[in-house]
Amino acid sequence: MSKQVSTKKRTLLFVAFGWVLLLLGDRVGDLELYQGSFVATYALAITSIILLTGYSGQLSLGQSALMAVGAYAGALTIFNAGLHPIIGLFMAALVAGVFGLILGLIAARLSGPYLAGTTLALAISLPTLANQFPILGAEEGIVFDVGLPPARFGEDFSQYKWFFWISALASLIMVWFIANLLSTKYGRTFRALRDNPIAAELSGINVGRLKVTAFAISSGVAGLSGGLLVMLISGVSPSAFPLSLSFALLGGAVVTGLYNLKGVILGGLVLVAIPEIADSLVSRIGGSEGFITTLPGFLVSALLILAVVFTPNGPGHLIKRHHKK
Amino acid sequence: MIRQFALPTWGSKMTEFITAILTSLSSGAIYALMALAIVLVWRSTRVINFAQAGQAVLTTYIGYTVIQRTGSYWLALVVAVISGAIIGAVIDRFFMRPIFKRVKSGPIVMIAPVVATLGLLGIIQAIIGFIWGLTNQSIEAPVSTGGYKVMGKVIAFSSYNLLVLVAVAIAMLLLTILFQRTNIGLALRASAYSPEIARLSGIKVDAVRTLGWAIAGASGGLAGMLYIPGYFLYPNAMDLLLVFGFVAAVIGGLESLFGAVAGAMILGFAINFSTTYISQKLFFPTAFIVLVLVLLIKPSGLFAAKKSRGA
Repeated sequence: MSKQVSTKKRTLLFVAFGWVLLLLGDRVGDLELYQGSFVATYALAITSIILLTGYSGQLSLGQSALMAVGAYAGALTIFNAGLHPIIGLFMAALVAGVFGLILGLIAARLSGPYLAGTTLALAISLPTLANQFPILGAEEGIVFDVGLPPARFGEDFSQYKWFFWISALASLIMVWFIANLLSTKYGRTFRALRDNPIAAELSGINVGRLKVTAFAISSGVAGLSGGLLVMLISGVSPSAFPLSLSFALLGGAVVTGLYNLKGVILGGLVLVAIPEIADSLVSRIGGSEGFITTLPGFLVSALLILAVVFTPNGPGHLIKRHHKK
Repeated sequence: MIRQFALPTWGSKMTEFITAILTSLSSGAIYALMALAIVLVWRSTRVINFAQAGQAVLTTYIGYTVIQRTGSYWLALVVAVISGAIIGAVIDRFFMRPIFKRVKSGPIVMIAPVVATLGLLGIIQAIIGFIWGLTNQSIEAPVSTGGYKVMGKVIAFSSYNLLVLVAVAIAMLLLTILFQRTNIGLALRASAYSPEIARLSGIKVDAVRTLGWAIAGASGGLAGMLYIPGYFLYPNAMDLLLVFGFVAAVIGGLESLFGAVAGAMILGFAINFSTTYISQKLFFPTAFIVLVLVLLIKPSGLFAAKKSRGA
C-alpha cells in the first residue's frame, strides 16, 4: 500500500536522523533532553503496538505488562547480577520477547475481544505479581541505574544527555530493525494476515505461527521500551506500569496511524507534549483542583476521539486517500 | 471484592467457608451487572464499551447528588438507573453511531470502537472531575453493613450484602422477562442474532441497538449504586470493576446473558476462595489465571454461540 523504501536508503535516513538528534542534543537543555528521552521511549512502545495491531491484526491492551516484564528483567540483570547496563537493556528485550512468545501461543488461538480481555487482565494482574516475590522489591521496586556517562565524553556531558543518547539510539536501532523486517517477506505476510486471515491461510501462510512471531517480536520491542522507561525514572516498581499507560500508548498508536511506522515519533511527541500543554494552559487560566488535574486526561481523550473520527487510518492516510482505487 | 474492614478472629473452618461462599456470591453479583452491561452492548453493536466504567460512575455521582439533596438512597437508586439508561442511549445515538458511519474499513475497524470508548471514558471522568472534584465522596449504605453472626462469630456478610444479592436477582429476573417474554426482547434478540434479517422483518435495528445501550447503562447505574457504598466514590472508582466485568463477560462467551452471569459467579468464587485460602495477593492474578484456563479450553468462552457471526 505504501511504496517501498530500499533498505540502503532507509538506513541512510536513520543515520541522518540520528545525526540530527545528536546535533540537536548538544544545543538544548537538560529538561528538553529528558523529555526527548521519553519521546524516544514512547515512540518505541508505540512501534510495538503498530507491529502487533496494525500489521498482524491482534489487539493487545496489555502492552504495559510486557513493558513491565522487560523493565524487571533489565533491572535484575543490572542490579542483582551486576552486569553492564547495555546487557540489561538487551535482556529486557530478550526476556520480554520470550515471555511474549509464550503468551503469543495462547493469544494466537484468540480473536478480537477475547485477546483484548486476556491482555487487559494481564495488564492489571502482572504488575501486582511483583509484590509476591521479595527479589522484585514489592511496592518499592528495585533501582534501575545505567550509571554515569563514560568519563571520555567529558565533564559537560550531563546525565540527561546520557539518558537521551541511550534511549534515542536504542529506539532508532530497534525501529530501523522493525522497519526493515516489515519491508521483507514478513511484512507482506503480516499485512495479508491483517487484511484477510482466511485468504492468507489459503495462500499457504501459517497464520498461527505468524501471529505468535508477531506477538513475540512486539513483546521484545515493548520490553526494551519498558527498560528504557524505568531507566528514565531510575527504578522499577509495579506502579510504574498502570493500565492507563497501555491505553495512552494505544492512543499514541492511533494518532500515529496504525498502518505504518513513519509517524511513531509524532505519537511519542504527542504523549509527552499533552501534559505539558495542559500544564501551561492551566497555569494561564487557573481553575479548581479538579479542573487542573483532569485537564491532561481530557485533552488526551479528546485527541483520541478526534483522531478516530477524522483520520481513522492515520494522518498519512489523508494525504494518500486520492491514490486509492 | 476484598471487604475493607478487618475480619474478626477466624473461628471455625466452617465460618470461614460460609463467609467465602457468601462474599463470593455478593461480589459475583456486582461483577454480573457489569458483565451484563458489557454483553448487552457487545451483542447489539460489537463494541466493548470501556466507557461503561465512566457511565456507571457518572450515574452514581448523579445518585450521590440526589442523596445530598433529598437524603433518600432509594430515590437516588431509581434516578441513577434511569439516568444510566438515558446516558447509554445518548452515547450510542450521538457518539457511537456517527463514528461507525465514518470508520468502515481497515484494521482501524477493530480498534476504533475500543479507542473511541476509551477516549469517552477519559472525557467522562474528566467532566466528573470538573463538576464534583477529585476528593473521595461516600454514599451511606441504606441498611446495616455490620456482618451477621453465624454460630456466635461475626462474618463478613451483612444485610447490605444481602440487599445487593436480592437487588441483582430482581434485575436478572426483570431482564429475563424482558428478553424472553416481550416483543421488545424478541427484537433485541433478533437484532443481535442477525441484523440483516431483523431489518428485513421490519425491526428498527438502529433503535433496538440504542435500546441495548440504554439497558446496559441502567445495569451499570445499578452496579454503581450497589458497589460504591462501602467504598469511596471518585472518578476512577469503577475502573477495576469494569475490568472484572469484562473478564467475566469473556469467560461467559460475550454473547449470552446467562454466560455473563455464570462467568461473573465463576470469577467471584475463584477470587474469593483463592484470596481466603491461599493468599490475599492473588486477587488480580486469579482473574487472569481463570480467564486463561477457560480460554485455553474454549477460545470463545463458555457459552459462546455455536455459529460464528464474525466479530
